Amino acid sequence: MTPDEFTNKFDPDHKIDLEKNTCPNREQRAQGTNIFYGKASELIKDAKEGNIKCYDRKLQQSSGCVLNFYLTVRVATIRDAAIIYHGPLGCSSPSLGYRELFRAVPTALGRPENFELNWITTNLQQDDVVYGASEKLKNAIFKAQKRYDPKAIFILTTCTSGVIGEDIEGAVAEVQPEVKAKIVPVHCEGVRSRLVQTGYDAFWHGVLKYLVREPKEKQEDLVNVASMLSYTWQDRIEIKRLLGKVGLRVNFIPEFSKVEELEQLSEAAVTAPLCPTYTDYLSRGLKQEYGVPYFLYPSPMGIKNTDEWLRQIGKYTGKEEEVEELIKEEHKIWVPRMEAVRQELLNFKGNGEQVEVLGALGQGRLLSQLPYFKELGLKSSAALTQDFDNLILEDLENMVEETGDFDILVNTFQAAEQGHITRRRDPDIALTCPFQGGAYKREKSVTRLHALRGDPDPWSLQSGYAGAIAYGEFLIQSLKNESFGKTIKAKTGDSYKDWWYEQPDPLYYLDKETSSK
Amino acid sequence: MSIKENEKVENIQSSDPLGTDSVEAPKYSCALGGAYGTALGVYGLVPLLHAGLGCGMGQLLGQFYAGGHNAGGPVGGTSTPTTGLVEEHVIFGGEDKLRKLIEASTEVMEGNAFAVISGCIPALIGDDVEAVIREFEDEVPIININAPGFNGNSYEGYELFFEAVIDQILTSLPKEKGVVNILGVVPYQHIFWKGELAAIKKILGKIGLKANIIFTEFDGIEKLKELPAAEYTLVLSTWNGHRAAKKLEEKFGVPFITFPSVPTGPKQTSKFLRTVGEKLNVSDDVVEEVIKEEERRTYRFIEYSGDILLIARPHSYFAVVADSNSAINITNFMVNELGYLPDIIELTDNPPEEYRENIIKALTEDLEVASLPEIIFEPDSYEARENLRGRSFLFLFASSLELYSASELGAPDVGVPHITVAFPSYNRVILDNSYASYGGGLRLIEDFTSHFAGPL
Repeated sequence: MTPDEFTNKFDPDHKIDLEKNTCPNREQRAQGTNIFYGKASELIKDAKEGNIKCYDRKLQQSSGCVLNFYLTVRVATIRDAAIIYHGPLGCSSPSLGYRELFRAVPTALGRPENFELNWITTNLQQDDVVYGASEKLKNAIFKAQKRYDPKAIFILTTCTSGVIGEDIEGAVAEVQPEVKAKIVPVHCEGVRSRLVQTGYDAFWHGVLKYLVREPKEKQEDLVNVASMLSYTWQDRIEIKRLLGKVGLRVNFIPEFSKVEELEQLSEAAVTAPLCPTYTDYLSRGLKQEYGVPYFLYPSPMGIKNTDEWLRQIGKYTGKEEEVEELIKEEHKIWVPRMEAVRQELLNFKGNGEQVEVLGALGQGRLLSQLPYFKELGLKSSAALTQDFDNLILEDLENMVEETGDFDILVNTFQAAEQGHITRRRDPDIALTCPFQGGAYKREKSVTRLHALRGDPDPWSLQSGYAGAIAYGEFLIQSLKNESFGKTIKAKTGDSYKDWWYEQPDPLYYLDKETSSK
Repeated sequence: MSIKENEKVENIQSSDPLGTDSVEAPKYSCALGGAYGTALGVYGLVPLLHAGLGCGMGQLLGQFYAGGHNAGGPVGGTSTPTTGLVEEHVIFGGEDKLRKLIEASTEVMEGNAFAVISGCIPALIGDDVEAVIREFEDEVPIININAPGFNGNSYEGYELFFEAVIDQILTSLPKEKGVVNILGVVPYQHIFWKGELAAIKKILGKIGLKANIIFTEFDGIEKLKELPAAEYTLVLSTWNGHRAAKKLEEKFGVPFITFPSVPTGPKQTSKFLRTVGEKLNVSDDVVEEVIKEEERRTYRFIEYSGDILLIARPHSYFAVVADSNSAINITNFMVNELGYLPDIIELTDNPPEEYRENIIKALTEDLEVASLPEIIFEPDSYEARENLRGRSFLFLFASSLELYSASELGAPDVGVPHITVAFPSYNRVILDNSYASYGGGLRLIEDFTSHFAGPL
């Protein structure tokens, strides 16, 4: 990336260019960063002034790349597609869970009885790296066509295919006439960007460019919902339930979807978010190319957010009145239960103090979850977010206005930093993603931020009205027994030397000499 | 019953004899994954990945979770430092990033030694990793492991780890009588690695030998350094650990003995103890006394399973889809101790050509059965599933990838019980369990009979 390709000017209405082979990186498209510690208000100020920096860390820890955070575990769940990873063996090993991801969901909950998921790695060897591997890629495409007869074949690139300069489009152009499945190249080589979110955009770029069809006819009752990896089967059921009640159908993509459901994205009435930052590129593309309207805020998390989410959908589908009716009906059931949860949490400490929660969230979750925590009667004076970019700037500003200022640590699964802030702030509840190293070793409550993907239990629900209550009750449970984290803290060693926790700065290892902009 | 002299094992060649073609869901990760997992097995050693940002995360999901659903531990997973190379490092080199990472990691991480494991990108861009590591040679022990993913799979990573250790940190030591090194059990790839090593150490201890199992010992770095002091290396695999053992022999004169696998159940374990005892000059009396005592107890316990074995599923066919080590000990135990019939054995670990004859031998020569199994070397999970169709087996020892194949392959609404015994194992959490040694046979009986046990 040359310096003049960087721009700190952000245009919220920027166009996406489907003539190109791939999307721009999040660093360029939205001035993204994965390193910041300070007040949310300062971050907003920096962003407005174009002062966001993406520094390196001297102590970088394993986090995730464009390919290997999201894509390897999720794209392989598209039911009638085949995925080809064009790389060495290890890049695709996270996909080994493909056959089990959704199989634990009972068919009674709407999971189809039989389905196959398919992926192949081109298994690049030293010779391939030296002499090129486009023949191998082409053969893998033919193999996938012959074996699986899929509707689409996604080609996911890797660092190795990128660095050796594989001509993916050339190979695809050559074999597409002989292959029935639509071939969809996704440029997700890990080296291309520091921000894992670039992977979402790269995937949607491929979907928009190659799969989404010219609308045959508008489906006025269809709502696109892109389901991000932290939502479970029960979340889908709750969303379907709510929209079903006002006569709307949900087009869940891309996880566990069919290729047809990706093709028909252009025919929907609206694209609604579960995670705005995940859905942004898709929503923009569908609006720009096919006039499908979208909104990015809020997500259906908590009662107020769910109300507003439904209202937005109502607006774009002509169901305003039905939605108001629905909200009224649902409130009768859920608002009293929410009040009970809230009271229990407010009184939990018994000394008038609120329960303090610290969560590590994606930037999309951050926007909806902090207001939801407020609704639950929880205090969150700090938050961790995986990344930050200008796509959420306006919404973050609105949120800070509403919930008040808070400290924010931007990092993508940096275990030492997360351990540091968790230890030093010592919240009553630490919400952990599994990827937080030893941050769970603590005296107070520790629990998960979200469940396993294929978890079919209503107890694990988070979305919509039922989810707002379920997760509140879940958090109360987490306060009732803290022995696991406590015992492990007492009985096992720490990953870092004591001085790490004694010094005040989680970004101690920020490398000022380096910045990508 | 013994095998007829002239009966030949039918060995169907795999869809991809060298395992270098494109493949669906191969049951291993890359060389970096194997070296990384092996390094994590050595307590006190901190791995540093000189690699892309997602290489470590990829291995957490695809090597450690897949290896019996294990978290990364104090220096694994997201705790593992990495250079996280991106485009500008591809252009300008990653050496400076590595230097800074070593400085920071050695300053803040708890650990006795460090291992720089380099993946694809440094190899492609030609970083001089050795030169960077040399800058720290007076300050902290650092092992340099060059393990680009395109150079091989996880099993290769295990060998690369030991080759680097032997070349870089070991020095000659006087031989210590009664000490044996244990090689051939690959952390995470052999999903029962922790329990297997502990069981082997324990049983060898009973005949007076001290096993250096390296992994899971809290003085892991010392254990590595002690490798040259052993009287023998015992390699518990037809092919894993062979290169490491040969190198130990060449460089430090430690001879090695090869066994087909970790032994499971009394017959295999007694044979193992007799062979080891003889080589290490342990008195016959001691060995036989231990064998007698262990066998007596184990067989008395096996008797408790007599009714469920004989009434629910006697002498039925079974199938195996697993790495060579697991396939060998499970098949031999099921056939020779419990009277089951091997239907098809698919080997998923892609062993090099030169070891395959020995693997087939280990899978067949001792089988006390009238019909031998079909044996297929099959790294491709699609082909492995297809090969299971239309068979006679009533239960399946396999990886969790075959979990739902088993339910689809059986008679309608019945399915075939599936027992996860091999990598990947997402549906079975393995902390300390294993099928090793005398008690391991009992564990195996418990695990598979529980799939069909019910009221009489």
